[in-house]
Amino acid sequence: MPTVILDEKSCAAEVGETILDVARRNGVWIPTLCYHPALEAYASCRLCMVEIDRGGWWQMVTACNYPVRRDLAVRVESERAVRARQGVMRLLLARAPESPELQRLAARLGIQSPGLPTVTVAERNCILCGLCVRACEERIGTAAISLAGRGVERKVSTPFDEPSADCILCGACAAVCPVGTIQWEVHGDEVELVPFGTRGPVRRCAACGAVLAAELAALAVAGRGAAAVQGLMDGEGFCWRCKRKKLARELSAGLPGGGPPSPRERPP
Amino acid sequence: MSTVVSKLESSRDLEEYRSEVCGRAARVDCTVRVCCGPGCLPKGAAKVYDGFVAAAGGPGEKSVAVSSKLTGCQGLCECGPIVTVSRLWEERGDSPHLPERPATNLGSVPGCAQMGTGYPLGAFFPGGIFYQRVRPEDVAEIWRESVEGGRVVERLLYHDDKTGTAARTAAEIPFYRGHCRVALALCGVADARSIDDYIAARGYAALAKVLASMTPEDVMAEVTRSGLRGRGGGGFPTGKKWRSARDAHGEPKYLIANGDEGDPGAFMDRALMEGVPHAVIEGMIIGGYAIGSSRGYIYVRNEYPIAVDRLHDAVLQARRMGFLGENILGSGFSFDIRINRGGGAFVCGESTALMASLEGRVGEPRAKYIHTVEAGFHGKPSLLNNVETWANVPPIILHGADWFAALGTPKSKGTKVFSLVGRVKNTGLVEVPMGMTLRQIIFDIGGGIRDEKSFKAVQTGGPSGGCIPAACLDEPVDFDRLSELGSMMGSGGMIVMDEDTCMVNLARYFLRFLKEESCGKCTPCREGIAQMLHLLEEITAGRGRPGDLERLEQLAALLEDTALCALGKTAANPVLSTLRYFRGEYEAHIAQRHCPAKECRGLFRYRIDAEACTGCGVCRKKCPVDAIAGQRKEPHVIDDEKCTFCGTCRDVCRFAAVTRV
Repeated sequence: MPTVILDEKSCAAEVGETILDVARRNGVWIPTLCYHPALEAYASCRLCMVEIDRGGWWQMVTACNYPVRRDLAVRVESERAVRARQGVMRLLLARAPESPELQRLAARLGIQSPGLPTVTVAERNCILCGLCVRACEERIGTAAISLAGRGVERKVSTPFDEPSADCILCGACAAVCPVGTIQWEVHGDEVELVPFGTRGPVRRCAACGAVLAAELAALAVAGRGAAAVQGLMDGEGFCWRCKRKKLARELSAGLPGGGPPSPRERPP
Repeated sequence: MSTVVSKLESSRDLEEYRSEVCGRAARVDCTVRVCCGPGCLPKGAAKVYDGFVAAAGGPGEKSVAVSSKLTGCQGLCECGPIVTVSRLWEERGDSPHLPERPATNLGSVPGCAQMGTGYPLGAFFPGGIFYQRVRPEDVAEIWRESVEGGRVVERLLYHDDKTGTAARTAAEIPFYRGHCRVALALCGVADARSIDDYIAARGYAALAKVLASMTPEDVMAEVTRSGLRGRGGGGFPTGKKWRSARDAHGEPKYLIANGDEGDPGAFMDRALMEGVPHAVIEGMIIGGYAIGSSRGYIYVRNEYPIAVDRLHDAVLQARRMGFLGENILGSGFSFDIRINRGGGAFVCGESTALMASLEGRVGEPRAKYIHTVEAGFHGKPSLLNNVETWANVPPIILHGADWFAALGTPKSKGTKVFSLVGRVKNTGLVEVPMGMTLRQIIFDIGGGIRDEKSFKAVQTGGPSGGCIPAACLDEPVDFDRLSELGSMMGSGGMIVMDEDTCMVNLARYFLRFLKEESCGKCTPCREGIAQMLHLLEEITAGRGRPGDLERLEQLAALLEDTALCALGKTAANPVLSTLRYFRGEYEAHIAQRHCPAKECRGLFRYRIDAEACTGCGVCRKKCPVDAIAGQRKEPHVIDDEKCTFCGTCRDVCRFAAVTRV
């Protein structure tokens, strides 16, 4: 079993793990933006730069996808690694200076202002980490959005910038977005994915009317989601809260005295 | 072009076929070679070629048997279209089929052969009369005088500016001295469309030798011993790469030729693929045998339609003759090649992006922590080499590693193809031994700088390379030395600049190119290049601030440390190398708001020389903002307050009285 030395800390590791895996397990913080444990590492944001010993020279690598194959010495807090991460953070902050999430992360990295002008256009603070696109493709299997265009023209987009015909409005893209670019917004009986403009009917709890999911997403997960998700979607169509209330009522119905009084009937 | 033959089933079949082809060639009295390379074609070379074909096929009895060849690049693009006319005895060599050279009045003939004896080694090559700037209407005269009459058409010869003498053969032209063609050995000699021409010059003999007498280990040892290094830019030892690919676990193994040339001003790979497509194919088959692969891909950009067609036809020819497909030359080894067209993204020349594109995905790079020789195309071991690297393989096998290793410098063996462009007199395609100095390439071969200007810098290695100043002109050109100078070999583009080129503006040009070609995947490349370009645009517009140079250097260091692929890591090189050698020029832009090369608009002034001005009034009438005043026949004056620095006055002045200061 290889040993990974993170700065001074000696950590046991498995072959094939990444430096980030080892660091997280051992409580060593390395900042990330485009990384998500449920997705393939993409290494596009370059915020997780660390130095590794290549025998005589130190190479800058991304912790999120550098595989451990043998014993490895890593410098996380070296001057060069810190400077690199701060530099990348400055570039991101210059792109989207308004983003509170980026500002918080930058502050944690010791950066108050980018010190650089804004020279690229970020739609709704998008930093092009690609998490949304990968979640949609890898986990949902829909690929309703993708990264279109090249270089500074690059953007997350539905085909031809029109509302997507394939999108099931599950909202996974909005859930993984680290800077809140994508929002899953409910308007009455419809849900809209902002900024793509894709809309569809929403499914509500049959009892209380709370939002359950987009209708298309509910249909899509039927038969393939985890047990908890499936239970939520089938049956009478109750939200978890109403379902629990109903269950409680059914169970208490068998108790002596016909169960506890409902809250409204309780004497003041 | 090739006659229909049945599949060749052994090396012996190949030898017999070659002798048949050479025999046919020996029945031709005169060979006309029309260069239809990247430089000559836009100048009308195709019409010239058609003219010769029509003349040969015209009515009436022919006194001579003529073979007209459409060839790849013959090198001296500046003087295209180029036509060479050689008599049978000039196609000489030790071939028994060809007659001895008779007494002649046509001057000396270069001492290398192309028919019968194998690759012409050393200097260029087709013997015979060398005509330049040939127009379609010149064909009749060349036909009458040279082809039929054996005489020279003086007016179409190359005239040396310095000596004033006319050159009758390529060997007499300074441009061709020092040339040593290995990868391009048959480019410009063989008909680019003909497998017969390639075979006649011992094409596919290296393959036959490999299959008949060498083990894969032998082949790899030979390539390793030759010292060949990757010609695509990085200069990685080819033998070592092949070894890793052979040792890698996983089946099938893939073999890829990178023909996605994209550097501004570079056309080496295009010329190679158009001129000798079979050399690339033969090299790949040998590589496939060495590493145990049976599937090859050639990735060529779609903007090279001729190269795509030639490669496509060459693959069909090779398949028909049995060099590709099952059981090649009866050896039991099988290999085939597919041509894939790229969409022309610069980043697709990067190996991982190329493979992503080949798989049908978006052409974006990925981390190379696991090398592509272990897991590349479709996650399988993949050996990728530049097309020029592949074309070097057959000569190495045929003539031996020692012969190849004798060329070049201790650490950079063999030759390198360069496209020599920019402000140099003789632009063209150059293949020279490694270690030749920049001065030799630019001044001896290139003929020096145009219009009696002075040399300022040469940009090598494309956007990832750098600028090398006059002080380093005597440095030898090899992989390591160029890197030490802050540039790189790259794929071989060489852009020569004169005193009128502003180095800050040049850096800006390359950064703009890179900004447009960055795929945008990683933050440092996408955002960092845009930041650097912004600074350079401010500086060239006269809005530079103190500290800008340090900011540029910090961003450059950041890119080198954190970018994902080589394109991003080296993107700052054009800035770093110009900062290294021309820092004063940057400082003048910022501190004095002055462009020393007088190229950046607004950072210099126009003045009218009172001595030279005749007072004709043309500039005054043409000035779009009425900034020029003056009486007729009196010296005129420019009002700097009104002037928008458009340069119209300078363009229209017939007395060169308007100068830039």
